[in-house]
Amino acid sequence: MRKMILLGIATFLGAADLQQVIESPDASAILKKDALPSAKTYVMPQGCISDDPAAIARGQYIFHNLNGKETKEPAPEGLVKILPDGKEKQYGNCVACHNIEGAKGYGNIGPDLSNYKALYMDSGVRNGTFVYQKIADPRVDNPTSHMTVNLTNGLMNEREVCDLASYIVSVKK
Amino acid sequence: MRTLSICAALLSVALCGALNAEEKLSMSDADKKMYAELVDNNPAEMDVAEGEQLFSAAIGTEAYAKMVGVKEKDLPAYIAGFPRYVEAAKRVVTLSQTIQMAMADRSQAVPKLESKEMLKMTTYLKSLANEQKTNIDVKANKAMKEMMALGQDVFEQRRGGRGLSCNSCHSADIVGQRLRMQPLPDLGASVTAAAGTWPAYRMTKSETTLLDKRFQQCMDNALLAKIPLGSKEMVALEVYITNKTKGNAIQVPGVKR
Ligand code: HEC
Ligand code: HEC
Repeated sequence: MRKMILLGIATFLGAADLQQVIESPDASAILKKDALPSAKTYVMPQGCISDDPAAIARGQYIFHNLNGKETKEPAPEGLVKILPDGKEKQYGNCVACHNIEGAKGYGNIGPDLSNYKALYMDSGVRNGTFVYQKIADPRVDNPTSHMTVNLTNGLMNEREVCDLASYIVSVKK
Repeated sequence: MRTLSICAALLSVALCGALNAEEKLSMSDADKKMYAELVDNNPAEMDVAEGEQLFSAAIGTEAYAKMVGVKEKDLPAYIAGFPRYVEAAKRVVTLSQTIQMAMADRSQAVPKLESKEMLKMTTYLKSLANEQKTNIDVKANKAMKEMMALGQDVFEQRRGGRGLSCNSCHSADIVGQRLRMQPLPDLGASVTAAAGTWPAYRMTKSETTLLDKRFQQCMDNALLAKIPLGSKEMVALEVYITNKTKGNAIQVPGVKR
């Protein structure tokens, strides 16, 4: 029965009908919603970079992990694995691109951040403001940066960017 | 045929256990061995065989050639030029989309781009172009030029949860560097030959995968919103990436990590 109906249609199938059957959903709305806001310059909040061990522990955790679902170790105080809406919290996965003390399976798309304080801060080539801005939105200093954007797109909040900056500039064993 | 299917089943069990944990690291020696075995005994060959059956029963190369407007004997070279502008479609389409048209033309139910039948038929149809060189012509007409430009835009557009673009990981200045130990492939290099080696069996997913589906996997991993198969932007991305490998010989189905 079904076949017969289809055969009946077949006699009328012209070019226009063939165009109709091509699956071609609209993606422009998805892309528009997914777009990244333009680069933004930030002012580092007061007391942002600290030597508070709790802040450094959070920064370390965000740096070395991808997201709440994939991470086995419990989250340090002040960080969650699952967000109130039930989705997993996305961390920085900075280690995918950067080596740093204790990194496991790191990548080398970005510079090695080991011994950052001695090499970059104490020598005066970098300061807290630079590190904060780089993590918040790396495009300001380098428009063609391959690095992830973390604050402008809401992936992280201000405090989390400060935690990361505190971790990077801390002295590690 | 039978030994192939048993092998595939065994392999996928082994892969599920062993590979998921290691996915973000580059290949261990055990993975390398498994990869070599897959190259010798590619489970995707089964999809080619099944795709041939489905395609021959529903369409056949003669009717397909007629629908797209070429001589049957010219099909291999023609297939090596996708995505391309097809007159009956009045736009640039992928190989899978022409199968949708051919199915309708033969009064058959039109399979979805996401379906297993489509995966199998596309893999088979592309394999007819084996040994041909990919010969996409991005300057052939206005439609192709537009799609090439759109494809580059989509490739370079930073978006998603981490503000990354395809270019963040696949731009010429960083290919070969490592993302979590994983070397970043040069999509145009002859060792990768992205356009000529997909559809491929993906070891880490234990399944045959189409090129546009592979794009979606990168989108997922990098937190870019997934754009749907068949959308203008997705076809454009395939045009752009295929053009990077223009001239490389087609060897389908491939095997990928
Ligand atoms: C996809 C790759 C990638 C990821 C992921 C990534 N980075 Fe980077 N990072 C880079 C690259 C490339 C540079 C150098 C270019 C630049 O400065 O923009 C860089 C530069 C930096 C610098 C500046 C170093 C200096 O003094 O010049 C800091 C600090 C930094 N990243 C921290 C982070 C942190 C923290 C994270 C995670 C939240 C992170 N990065 C994630 C690629 C990455
Ligand atoms: C965060 C980094 C990253 C981003 C962003 C990214 N990719 Fe990839 N891509 C990779 C890595 C790493 C591999 C290799 C993975 C492997 O071998 O398993 C890969 C592999 C591929 C391959 C397979 C190459 C081959 O034939 O072996 C294609 C095609 C591809 N990417 C396309 C894209 C497209 C299109 C986009 C954007 C929508 C994109 N990628 C975004 C990291 C990325």
